[in-house]
Amino acid sequence: MAHELPSIDQLRDAAAAQGIHPSDDDLEAVQGFLRVLVPAFAELEQLVPLDMRPAAMFLPTEAP
Amino acid sequence: MTLVALAQRLRDGETSPTEAVEYYLARIDALDGSINSYIAVMEDEAREAAAALEGSQPRGGLWGVPVAVKDVIDVSGSPTTAASDVRRDVAPADRDSAVVEGLRRAGAIILGKLNTHEFAYGAMTTSSRFGPSRNPWALDRIVGGSSGGSGACVAAELAAGTLGSDTAGSVRIPSCFNGVTGLRPTSGRISNRGVVSVAFSFDAIGPLARTAEDCALLLGAVAGFDPADASTVDVPVPDYTEGLEKGIEGLRVGVVRSLLGANVDGRIREAVCEAIDELAGLGARVEDVEVPMLKHFGTIQQAMQFGEATEVHLETLRTRLADYDPDVRARLLTGLFIPSPVYALGNRGRLLAYELTREAFREVDVLVAPTMPTLPPRIGEDTVDLNGEEILYRLTIIPFNSPWSLVGLPVLSVPCGFVDGLPAGLALVGWRFAEPTLFRAGHAFQQVTDWHSRRPQLEQHAGMVE
Repeated sequence: MAHELPSIDQLRDAAAAQGIHPSDDDLEAVQGFLRVLVPAFAELEQLVPLDMRPAAMFLPTEAP
Repeated sequence: MTLVALAQRLRDGETSPTEAVEYYLARIDALDGSINSYIAVMEDEAREAAAALEGSQPRGGLWGVPVAVKDVIDVSGSPTTAASDVRRDVAPADRDSAVVEGLRRAGAIILGKLNTHEFAYGAMTTSSRFGPSRNPWALDRIVGGSSGGSGACVAAELAAGTLGSDTAGSVRIPSCFNGVTGLRPTSGRISNRGVVSVAFSFDAIGPLARTAEDCALLLGAVAGFDPADASTVDVPVPDYTEGLEKGIEGLRVGVVRSLLGANVDGRIREAVCEAIDELAGLGARVEDVEVPMLKHFGTIQQAMQFGEATEVHLETLRTRLADYDPDVRARLLTGLFIPSPVYALGNRGRLLAYELTREAFREVDVLVAPTMPTLPPRIGEDTVDLNGEEILYRLTIIPFNSPWSLVGLPVLSVPCGFVDGLPAGLALVGWRFAEPTLFRAGHAFQQVTDWHSRRPQLEQHAGMVE
């Protein structure tokens, strides 16, 4: 994950591409979350070994 | 009175289902105006259900017991609002959720639907379109969340027991802040059918009540495999009330020392350490334990939780964005900007966290830590005092709650003391499906302490005569 915090304009464009139109106040609040999350995810990338398998997700078990 | 004691009185014919329902309805009428734990009181339905039980042979462990459920849980005939304007026009549920079916099968009577943080996506229960719930121990304080109504309801004795839901602490936090006992069960222990999802791979319904024994009885009524919910696991459901009296002699208790440092209010730390001493006095073998990388477990959960939560709301984010409360809207929007590889990274990190935690459980049967590191903030404030420093409340939650949700472990929160008149909680964490061990430990603790039986002084304020 990129380490830079996206700008308000970048966030607005990315949201619009998904059909969502938040206000600048909303996007400033989003930046508040991303300010904590982006570096944490970048650090996590270094901590999880590449050969670590994913956890299982559940699928139904009924007969066909 | 505890839920178990009420159930016994009902079975023995010392009180009737109608008397039990009327008792709680009167208390709700007198007290809930100041607490706001209920979104909807189902008076008529409750009275009808009680009348239908009158004269019948008691059957089921909860026969005639009035309970209430968080308003993310479907109850047939009632709209599930999730405390959101987004769902203000939602139709009444046409079917009970799996857990309400379980409660009714056990003979329980549904009193109503309880307040929650909007869409159960936050830990304050102040974002509800029905207004904030207020802490029965201090009405200017939050009740925690997201199952805040469920916790306050039990504390104020407005139902014998409640159900909440827990994605990242939402049963445990209000249990702690309201001075009641609550369980986040093993992931997959209880069906989520008919429940509004926060993040599907973390969601777990859980009971809140006065005691560990109460929660054991409630869990037995709602646990089990459900072919309609692929997240449930086909593991037999024991009688959780059996064996509670066996005590904890020789139980291996691991103290998560990294959760008992400067990151905890010193007065809460003291209460938790005294509780651990009580467990040792009951014969538990106490030792310190460290779970490697524990401080990163919350980040791993967030790598997955944001995307899972946002996906549920994509359509209404496009069409009803302004109807969300600002804090929930910000969380949901944040999920739009977390790249999909982060989700995959989180899922690999999740198995790593599981393996590391399993390693710790090779040495112990139960882990212990504070349920919450601080007292509840005042309503309207988003910061909280931690040893003289004001910090964001939401950042205090994650390290103490997310790790156990991430790896799907059961956690029982029991009251373990008071600080400035507000409750503190001890979290007992077990390995998967070790709920019987947690109930046994919680019950043993509650036999030698009285924190769980202390009551907020509400009746005097309301002018009620008990």
